Amino acid sequence: MSDSRHQVKPPKWSHRLLRYFLRKEFLEEIEGDIEELFDENVELHSLAKARRLYNKEVIRLIRPALVKKWSIGQKLNTGMLQHNLILTLRSYMRYKSAFLINLLGLSTGLACTLLIYLWVNSEFEVNRFHEKGDRLYQVLANYDNSNGISTNQATPALLPQTLAETLPEVEFATTQSWLSAYTLSYEDTNIKAVGQYAGEDYFNVFSYDLIQGDKNEVLKDKRAVVISEELATKLFGTTVDVVGKMVDFMHFKQFQVSGIFKSPPASSTHQFDFIMTFGEFKESRSWILNWKNNAPSTFVVLKEGSDIDAFNAKIVNVIKENNGEPNVTPFAVLYSDLYLNGKFENGRPTGGKAASVRLIGLIAFFILAIACINFMNLSTARVSRRIKEIGIKKAVGASRKTLMLQFMSESVIMAFISLVMSLAIVWLVLPEFNSITDKSLSLVFTGELVMALGVTLAITGILSGSYPALYLSGFKPVKILKGQTPSSWRELFLRKGLVVFQFVLSVVLIVSVLVVQKQIEFTQQKDIGFNKDNIISFEAEGELELKLEPFLDELKKVPGVTMASSTAHSIAGSYTGSTYDLSWEGKLADETVEMEYMRVNHDFIELLEFEIIAGRSFSKEFKTDIGKVIFNEEAIKTMGIEDPVGKIVNVWGADQQILGVVKDFHFRSFHQKVGPAFFVLKPNDTWVVMARLAAGSEQETLKGIQTLYHDLNPGFNFEYQFMDDNYAAQYKDEQRTATLAKYFASVAIIISCLGLFGLAAFTAERRIKEIGIRKILGSSTANIVRLLSGDFTKIVALAIIIALPLSYFLATGWLQDFEYRISLNWWFFATAGLLALFIAWLTVGFQTLKAATVNPAKCLRSE
Amino acid sequence: MKKTKLGEFEELVLMTVVVLQENAYGVEIKRELESRLNETLSVGSIQSALKRMEEKSFLTSEFGEATQKRGGKRKRIYKATPYAHKVLQDMKDVRTQLWAAMPAAAAKLNFLMN
Repeated sequence: MSDSRHQVKPPKWSHRLLRYFLRKEFLEEIEGDIEELFDENVELHSLAKARRLYNKEVIRLIRPALVKKWSIGQKLNTGMLQHNLILTLRSYMRYKSAFLINLLGLSTGLACTLLIYLWVNSEFEVNRFHEKGDRLYQVLANYDNSNGISTNQATPALLPQTLAETLPEVEFATTQSWLSAYTLSYEDTNIKAVGQYAGEDYFNVFSYDLIQGDKNEVLKDKRAVVISEELATKLFGTTVDVVGKMVDFMHFKQFQVSGIFKSPPASSTHQFDFIMTFGEFKESRSWILNWKNNAPSTFVVLKEGSDIDAFNAKIVNVIKENNGEPNVTPFAVLYSDLYLNGKFENGRPTGGKAASVRLIGLIAFFILAIACINFMNLSTARVSRRIKEIGIKKAVGASRKTLMLQFMSESVIMAFISLVMSLAIVWLVLPEFNSITDKSLSLVFTGELVMALGVTLAITGILSGSYPALYLSGFKPVKILKGQTPSSWRELFLRKGLVVFQFVLSVVLIVSVLVVQKQIEFTQQKDIGFNKDNIISFEAEGELELKLEPFLDELKKVPGVTMASSTAHSIAGSYTGSTYDLSWEGKLADETVEMEYMRVNHDFIELLEFEIIAGRSFSKEFKTDIGKVIFNEEAIKTMGIEDPVGKIVNVWGADQQILGVVKDFHFRSFHQKVGPAFFVLKPNDTWVVMARLAAGSEQETLKGIQTLYHDLNPGFNFEYQFMDDNYAAQYKDEQRTATLAKYFASVAIIISCLGLFGLAAFTAERRIKEIGIRKILGSSTANIVRLLSGDFTKIVALAIIIALPLSYFLATGWLQDFEYRISLNWWFFATAGLLALFIAWLTVGFQTLKAATVNPAKCLRSE
Repeated sequence: MKKTKLGEFEELVLMTVVVLQENAYGVEIKRELESRLNETLSVGSIQSALKRMEEKSFLTSEFGEATQKRGGKRKRIYKATPYAHKVLQDMKDVRTQLWAAMPAAAAKLNFLMN
């Protein structure tokens, strides 16, 4: 206010506002009117009041009769948009190949990004549906061994109860047993279903949807069972009036259905069909009451506001204090975090899946960015086709803004068409994608997805439109019409750099496809130390468990069964026993050695064709063989026993004679080193039947076994598995990696070819005059093709040079995970490099040939 | 008839324009009406009435001469068209006839107003 010039002037902002909204033709008159009033008011009142009154007058001038006719403006706008749309569509029609290439590139990129978005989203939703998820903790246990701390979910079964009773911050606690398949029957229907035992508060801890029954009551009665809706429909054919009915459990116990729950959603890692009570658990397996036995998992819900660190400090000694194993320390971790951050090393969390999920999210962004940049490249490469249009428009008076808007709308329209295409692609490949990733993703248009799509559309459109919009609209009309196109070295460098980057990616992916494929082949072909072909396994349930020996005798008589035996474990990929309780002559006092073991029946070694390299196998002729052991080579080496056959080893507190030694074999996947292991003859402990079928007549043999099984064991279904299927399942992750790598490699190749194509098109455009002159001076087509391709060969060669060490490094890292792995061959890299080069030539060849065969008169005419 | 439709406020503004003759421009119309009606009016209300009436061809207007006042901006002088005069006359006639047709009520009204 100190400035006197301002004193007698009306407020600037309202003046500006007035000019903005008032119709031009009224401006002078009305501005004059209110200024006259303002002057008058300044004299009558204070300046401040005059200004206030002026503002008031301006605001009250906003009336339909006086403001600008916005509707007229809008009409002009739609007109321009229409014009832009027509221009865009025309240019698509005219340059069909460019349109298709852009469409292909952008929609592939978008589809990839969308798929990854769906996947990442679902990964972040896993186990997050529990209502009390923010205070639902799983209690894990750290096992302190002589070779470091290992972290496990097995805890004493009584731990939850103790925690709930002794710690006030625990609101609910429950135990949850491992999952097993059991046969449930109602009348004549026998269903094998996956069940577990759980504590009373199970449904208070987890939010599995209980449709019928009270969540506080359903797991109270010892003989109660809560079944899933699906199981109820299978067993009873309905879910109505099911509660209260009796169900046969393994044909020897009766349970009463106390509730029905909805099967856990796909976003749950824990999938089960029915739940039995903790009371029943204690009765049927009294060993779990011992604190030294760690087997089930423990879950707690803490009261709101509880401090997890304080809680963890309180529970450190709880297992020791209750006479549990002294080397086991429990600690609680947020359950919903475990899926993504479930890796522990030496008792400390070391991340887990989260890192790779984030990495994949980043890759999605990269793919989209590359697709956008390619689009930019292609549209700027075609600049000379549009340059006259731009020049004339500018000369006629189009502003830069108008031109920018035109290019922007062009790219947004393109992005929109691509988005629609990519949705179609996603819809098509989703079933395949689901089967590869083991997910059940679906394209549901939730608000979130629509918003994500909108944002993607905007980003893609604006990102890919921005460069052409800024670049093309900035040309000087005079220069354009003279035929000069501006360009700089930096720009060319950027274009080339991008192509190099894309090819590096492609080569790395090609190498990884080869390496993963070879490693999988290796795991399937390598001698694993036993013969897994044509072996079936099934569990002996009910009666059979008690009459196993007669059943095995009968089984061997079924035509097509060449050999049969039984064990206490299912071999490949899953559970075997392990123990520390071994001692031998010369064992150090503080040495702890963990050995895997299998309790087996007679003929087992022969059935799976393990190779005996010393001593002999178990034999029925010697009754004293029961309890004796056969070690593998590794075990003998670990124990340091020389000339082992006949020596004595103490197993589980009893001295046992070593009968023989087998060659090392691979129980487990090739990720793990073959460890020390032994077989122990315990026919009475076995319940998994294994048989080898004669090749060629498997189906008839299986029918024969089924008839036998039903005759001897009515009420149970004959469900078997082939061992090689189980064995292959161990490499499911690798199979998945291989398939995904293949897809991603194809996408990378497509996208990088588009990048190269764009660059080739750009170069050909720029050098068209040069080519014309060369041709006039006598250059042959071949010469020119060589000249142009030479450039690209250099670019791709550079990419290969960068990619090979990188892919070597990555492949070595991936193979590190396998204890038994292929060695990297030079030809993996050579193949990948040559393939990349070949694809590049193919891409560029078309462009260069077109450029080289151009009629020089045509391209030089305009000069 | 539609064209002749004249709002109450518009009628007042129109009559003021006729009264003010050569001096009928925005602010003067506002001052005149404010003093007669004994209330404050905004420029916006006067101006929008003027513009509406101009569109309905009750008024014509042209710029006056530029003066030092008003920041050098010209006044716009309004003038009622013959058509407007006719419409004003018509409305007055209708009213007079109506008044004449309701002597009793008029007497009562007069009594009330006094």
